[in-house]
Amino acid sequence: MWKKIRKYIIPLSICLILISTAVAGCAEEEPAPAPAPAPSPAPEPEPEPAPAPEPEPEPEPAGPTKNSIVIGASRPLSGPNAPIGDAAFGPIMQMWQERVNAEGGIYVEEYGKKLPVEYIIYDDATDVGTMVRLTEKLILEDEVDILFSACGTAFISAQAPVANKYGMVLLTAEGGATIMRDALYGLPYVFISLPFSDHYQLPVFAEMAAAKGAKTAYIITIADLHGVEYGGVAAIEFPKYGIEVIANKSVPITYTDFSLLVKDAKAADPDLFCVFAYPPIIMPVTGEMMAIGFNPPAVLMGPGANFGFYGISFGGDPMTINGVTCFAAANEKTSPEFAQLYADLEALVGWPNLDWWGHPYYAPLVQIWQEAIEVTGTLDQDVLRDYIASNQFDTILGNTYFEMFGEFGGGLMVKDTHPGEIGQWQDGTVEIVGGGDWPGVVLTSDWVYPKPDWPTP
Amino acid sequence: MNITRFTSKGFLIPGLISLVILIALVTLPFYGSLYNVIMVTSILMYIILTVSWVLFSGPTGYMSLATAAFFGIGIYASAIFLPNTGAILPLLVVVVIGGLVSSLVALGVGALTLRLRGIYFAIFTFGLVVLILELGNWWEHTVTHTRGRFVMLVDNDVIFYIMLAIFVLLMLTTYLIRRSKFGLAMRSIGENEEAAAHIGVNVTMVKVITFAISAFFMGAAGVIWATKLTYVDPYVAFNPLFSFMPVLMAIFGGMGQIYGPVIGAVIFAYLQEKLQTEFPYYYMLIFGFVLVAAILYLPDGLIGLIQKLWRLIRRWRKGGAAKQDANT
Amino acid sequence: MPESIVTIMDVAIGGLLLGGIYALIAMGLSLQYGVARVLNISHGEFIMLGAFSTFTLYTVVGINPLICLAIVGPIAFIIGFLLQRTLFTQLRTSAPNPGAFEASSLLATFGLMYVIQGIALQIWGADYRAYTYLNFGVDLGGAIFSANKLVILGFAIGIGVAFYIFLARTHMGKGIRSAAQDPTTASLMGVNINRVLALCFGFGAAMAGLAGVLYSMRIPLNPAMGLQYTLIAIIIIVLGGLGSIPGAFIGGLILGIIGEIVTYIDPSLSLAAYYFIFMLLLLVRPKGIFGK
Repeated sequence: MWKKIRKYIIPLSICLILISTAVAGCAEEEPAPAPAPAPSPAPEPEPEPAPAPEPEPEPEPAGPTKNSIVIGASRPLSGPNAPIGDAAFGPIMQMWQERVNAEGGIYVEEYGKKLPVEYIIYDDATDVGTMVRLTEKLILEDEVDILFSACGTAFISAQAPVANKYGMVLLTAEGGATIMRDALYGLPYVFISLPFSDHYQLPVFAEMAAAKGAKTAYIITIADLHGVEYGGVAAIEFPKYGIEVIANKSVPITYTDFSLLVKDAKAADPDLFCVFAYPPIIMPVTGEMMAIGFNPPAVLMGPGANFGFYGISFGGDPMTINGVTCFAAANEKTSPEFAQLYADLEALVGWPNLDWWGHPYYAPLVQIWQEAIEVTGTLDQDVLRDYIASNQFDTILGNTYFEMFGEFGGGLMVKDTHPGEIGQWQDGTVEIVGGGDWPGVVLTSDWVYPKPDWPTP
Repeated sequence: MNITRFTSKGFLIPGLISLVILIALVTLPFYGSLYNVIMVTSILMYIILTVSWVLFSGPTGYMSLATAAFFGIGIYASAIFLPNTGAILPLLVVVVIGGLVSSLVALGVGALTLRLRGIYFAIFTFGLVVLILELGNWWEHTVTHTRGRFVMLVDNDVIFYIMLAIFVLLMLTTYLIRRSKFGLAMRSIGENEEAAAHIGVNVTMVKVITFAISAFFMGAAGVIWATKLTYVDPYVAFNPLFSFMPVLMAIFGGMGQIYGPVIGAVIFAYLQEKLQTEFPYYYMLIFGFVLVAAILYLPDGLIGLIQKLWRLIRRWRKGGAAKQDANT
Repeated sequence: MPESIVTIMDVAIGGLLLGGIYALIAMGLSLQYGVARVLNISHGEFIMLGAFSTFTLYTVVGINPLICLAIVGPIAFIIGFLLQRTLFTQLRTSAPNPGAFEASSLLATFGLMYVIQGIALQIWGADYRAYTYLNFGVDLGGAIFSANKLVILGFAIGIGVAFYIFLARTHMGKGIRSAAQDPTTASLMGVNINRVLALCFGFGAAMAGLAGVLYSMRIPLNPAMGLQYTLIAIIIIVLGGLGSIPGAFIGGLILGIIGEIVTYIDPSLSLAAYYFIFMLLLLVRPKGIFGK
């Protein structure tokens, strides 16, 4: 009996699962780029071992008769970075495309007409080598007009030199680090948008905490080089304001049990408890804090506590995490434009995928692109680069521009553009509670210090 | 060696095919697009990893999962000696250094793991990858205080030719080892280690030296690969995926023949790229199904299929000839 | 209670919890690799599936995660059973020798890993998911532990012990054990080897699914989470000795406790220390702690 089953059930189940998932995928309103793939039982074997791939059919012939603006991006659609890519820059890309195309496209003078936006999105499966190769494919073979950012600090660090080498302007999205800022002097085509550790998150936080009388800080960082960067910057900034760092521990990425660390922190009784790590760590740490009743006056978590999904991870109700401090720039109260942005995003991808740190900086990126193209009337990268480098843009953030690094360097979004640096979960949403001392900072609420107790179960 | 072997038909056809492929590859930058060169470079990288993995693990039967460690050592050598601020040493010298350091580590590991067999050896070597990754990470943030390193950019054609040179050297080495007494000794270890030792094979020496040779090529490839990555930190360099990829590619291709792993790596890498770009949202699903289906319907790997086809063609030709005879 | 005893309890309970989960996962893989000779790279994906199913059943349908154990376990068992009966039996019968079967099944499970992750991506999307269950503190003589931790610990060890008794006492269990020791003799002695292997694979998948149900109470879920547990399980079955089910169980507990002790001393090097100790043990005892 089993032999017969074996003979029929395997091919049958292969077909069935492929079809059903393809249907499920389409039903979930994904921007399904391709029809259901035909189930192929075996790869087309190429008998000759020559590794020379045949030239592929050009997807979109570029030329004077242009029908669309082709934008390429290598994104983590699968693998460990997929949850972040899915919630951060991804929704902004999708929303912008829908809006622009509904208006008939972007007017490009060069071609004398409005051109709709078309994406070529590849899956880099969260691998840097793949991402670099796909980026080169986008630039060289697909000849995309515009390159959009990869996802993750290590990823944009690798993508920046490559984009720069081919003269493609790159406005980076998810990621930023001191090492990238240092490299900007040699990367004229690269513009960094997202704020990071000493630009100006931790200095602002340290000043806020010191003003409330915080004296000690217990820090946990993820043991990769960027988690460690936050720990290092905190160790510099906190003592400036008289806050003593009593512990600075790093934990491996794959670690899952945090009871001992949280208990150790509880025993140390710090004023500030900072966890500079990603969602797989900050979420269990938060749960453990609730369970054993560790409630220090301030809890700073991130990156990750700035997403809606963090809020609903503890019993589905964001009220449970009231008082947790995170990195955040703006929310729906910051300005009417932001209210509109967050309403649109929520309608598109749902509340759990809202990001109060990243979205305020990714949304201007597409606005900057649009303005640069409309004003210069071209898709020429050098012209666009010079325009972006030397102009101030009126975006959702207000007056937005980049500080240029040297005569032949790239740009970093200036701090004066940041409407806020630090947020706090209050009444089930993230309020902006801390920013720099420059005009343009919009705080939506006061920082609650000490934070309220965790809810009693 | 017997001279007639070289002139015999059995050598001529594969030799000619290899020569044609080699010429096609060497001249690729003149007729292919720049992206073709880049794509072939990355396929060559996979071939080098796979073939050098098979070089040791194929005949001896020891499944090594240390590939990512040796490859990563090469990548890190590149990050240290070829920073974006200016090369400290010439590229080719770094390639050799990366290879040599990998070989040295392989010598040490090989000598340490003499007693381990089968899965125990495999898991020990995998542990090596994670250990080096974690120690490297710890070293970077507590001792050197770097937060990632940028590698200098190298012209794509240069990268391609160096990768190709490593590939050719590797194929020659593999070919020579298979034909030599050394290769025979390795196969005898794979069949029965005790018996091999009994008939006078210096088992330890053969194992450790082959391990080091295969690590040399992995390290050298890593040095070149790093110039494509441009940004290196321990998680990028010591990606455990590179431990499994060569194994899978070799099984996919079939390990019986020298060209099996090559074909496996080519198809595997090409397929992955096709799926990631053509069906990005279904990449994992389709790729997984292709793997399962391939192993179900091609149990001997791709070369099994090729051999079957070859036999079919030969029989068909023979049959055709017989029919013609009958007609006349 | 004095501080030092509280700390020791902390380390012990934390270690046993981690170890209990590891033990479940490793016992599952031990059945699959030790008996069925399938080094199942997709083992962790069953953990992921178990965890996601629990998430959906709990947050959407409102079924208690502990009841999910009784739902997910049998389903995972059936999936595993069918996989062995179809896919792996096909591979086994067509392979010329055991080595070739191990190679082809490795590739097949790698493919399965991609397939299962791909399916999970389609069903649940790539986002992080989490829920809380029994997330409050329980005071054990001065030391506070979260209740879900103690529940997980109890269930993990309970399931492990129950399964061991099943293996040791029942007729079916004896069949599995004899097949683990020597498949050819077992089949000569009248054990239906295909059925036993399918049972093993099914139990292996069920163990992973149960571990997923239990651990989902404490960790955030996403489709890519499985592989790290597979790697840990491989290490444990090697540490415990191939084919030794008590070895896998005890090896899991030991690794959990070592991990917790190392974390207590210095978390930043815990993974490195982990692997260092493991490699050292392997050098001293090349066939694992319980290997013969």
